[in-house]
Amino acid sequence: MTSTVTPAAATASASAGAGAPRRRRRPRGTWLLLLAPVLAFDAVLFLTPLGKLVAASTHDHAYQRVLKDPLVSRSLLNTFEISALSTLATVVLGYLLAVVIWRRGPLARVILFALVLLPFWTGVLVKNFAWAVLLQDNGLVNTALQGLGVTDAPLALLHDRFAVVLGMVHYLLPYAVFPIFAALAAIDDRLELAARSLGAGEASIFRRIILPLTVPGVSAAGLLVFIISTGFFITPVVLGGPGDMMIANQIDFYARQLTDFAGASALALLLTVIVSVLVAIYQRILRAGGEYEAG
Amino acid sequence: MNEQSHRSVSRRSILRAAGASALAAPLAGSLLTACSTKSTPSAKPNTTVTVTSYGGSYNDQLTKTLLKPFEKKSGVRPSLLANTSLAGLKAQVQSGDVQWDLVELTAPEYLQAVDEGLLEKLDYGVINDKGLPSYAKADYGIKYLSFLFVMAWDQKHIPDEQAPKNWEQFLDQGRYKGKRSVYAQLSDSSILEAARLAAGVPFDKIYPLDVDAALKYLAQHPGRDGLIYHTANQEPIQQLTSGEVALSTSFNNRISAARKDGARLNFTATNSVVAGDYFVVPRGARNKEAAFRLLDFMSNDAAAGADFIQTTNLTLANTPALAKLPSSVADSLPTSPKLADSILVRDDAWWAKNLKATEQRFKLWQAGN
Repeated sequence: MTSTVTPAAATASASAGAGAPRRRRRPRGTWLLLLAPVLAFDAVLFLTPLGKLVAASTHDHAYQRVLKDPLVSRSLLNTFEISALSTLATVVLGYLLAVVIWRRGPLARVILFALVLLPFWTGVLVKNFAWAVLLQDNGLVNTALQGLGVTDAPLALLHDRFAVVLGMVHYLLPYAVFPIFAALAAIDDRLELAARSLGAGEASIFRRIILPLTVPGVSAAGLLVFIISTGFFITPVVLGGPGDMMIANQIDFYARQLTDFAGASALALLLTVIVSVLVAIYQRILRAGGEYEAG
Repeated sequence: MNEQSHRSVSRRSILRAAGASALAAPLAGSLLTACSTKSTPSAKPNTTVTVTSYGGSYNDQLTKTLLKPFEKKSGVRPSLLANTSLAGLKAQVQSGDVQWDLVELTAPEYLQAVDEGLLEKLDYGVINDKGLPSYAKADYGIKYLSFLFVMAWDQKHIPDEQAPKNWEQFLDQGRYKGKRSVYAQLSDSSILEAARLAAGVPFDKIYPLDVDAALKYLAQHPGRDGLIYHTANQEPIQQLTSGEVALSTSFNNRISAARKDGARLNFTATNSVVAGDYFVVPRGARNKEAAFRLLDFMSNDAAAGADFIQTTNLTLANTPALAKLPSSVADSLPTSPKLADSILVRDDAWWAKNLKATEQRFKLWQAGN
């Protein structure tokens, strides 16, 4: 029983740990030594290619060209819109799911977590193609709708923004459920008992205790989901139409079809910078959340 | 790694020596063909040549009709990949890690690759140009293949007698409801030319291509909502056979192959667009001599060439093979004089100059701008 709750518990302790107030000082330099393997790994497999990318992006006025391209502004806008929509849907659904899991007994928790984790372990390509099969004109959904007499002709469900967001939410849900569940699990049960003893109803308890206490978890989940969303590539390809091109697809278009490697590098760096800023904000939220809990 | 590079160096020097001695002799071409494809099966038994093309049924046909017979004759073992692209070739040449030896490119991509200095000059001492039609021979590649860009339909939904006869009908939303699938790229697809033809522009007035007018036409017939896109040559076959669309652009050989497999699809050669692909050798290819020998085989071996043509319904640049064909086959080929008046010849030079800008323009149009 305890072992099955571990993933969530681990997340909970991790997020709490990030905010643990003060640690004992260790001798200077130890942290550097501990980081050495990761740094070496990063230097070879991340920093070197990144350096090459930076170098490649400085050719042929790549930045000016890329930023002037209306297709690029369009895909940046798309990336922002699609990510925002997916994040909103994922966090709302994730919150509901997390609350349900949190409120259930141990056995139901195990089953519900398994249901969240199963798609988590399935490849994104498999999930996307499954949706494509379900949503196409002669797919399961349309056949069922027509069979039940709800619609006469197949609805256009595939190759549009709805399908892209659907496919992304399906992929992203676990990334929202775990941080939110961790925030819920960290709430002291006695707060609720105290509130109840003072005459608070369910709605009041949720609005005045549970919701405020889970805000850091929700923000963390939202930002994490948004960051992951910005890098989506295959979902717009499989489920989207030509108007749903995201920035990763734009990089692919520059590299593969225009064979403009300088332009593709510039775009990739643009994405890297945007995501880095978001990650920095994410770290702050995690820290702030920790302080909030500690206070 | 080391061992391999030693081996390849020694193989290269042997072949280079062979090439040099042959060049010194008169009748160089024919002598060398004779010695490279007949008397010495191969310098080393484990020579390989990595070929890239577009995959699907076409790769199966290439393997069966050209690569296997070449292996049998030369002892060189070809391996065929399905992911050919100018981007892949360029990335390999620029990084110095060239994995491909013989690469298929569309005609505009070929001209771009020549411009950017990405290709090895072909050695017509190894490749006998006797079998090559004049249009096919170039310094850095052989325009080995001609194919037709056609309108195709699903016979289950559109019986042949109701099928489109020209592009105006093909794009007419009033005539056929539902979507048409078109190729998202333009480097070997001619949907913009098709739109101009649909608007009534005669064959000889298509180039220079009026891209804006073509897109304007497509925006009304069938409209952006009437189009879906495919990005691989085999995709329209799936879209047509699965019922996702009833009409699609495709290439004549893909439809013929699907028909042979029992798919109820058809196409018309009338009003199609004839275009060509090149085989090229990337600069710094590890097995370039083997690649040259394969090119030589493809351009001169009559039996294998005729088998390829009959299997694919495509024109191979191989005069001895073309001469062997029964007229029923020859007359249906993309380069047949019988078709000349009813098809458009793609202008490679125009496309080479305008490909990138037009690809961007088309992509933007697809996105709704």
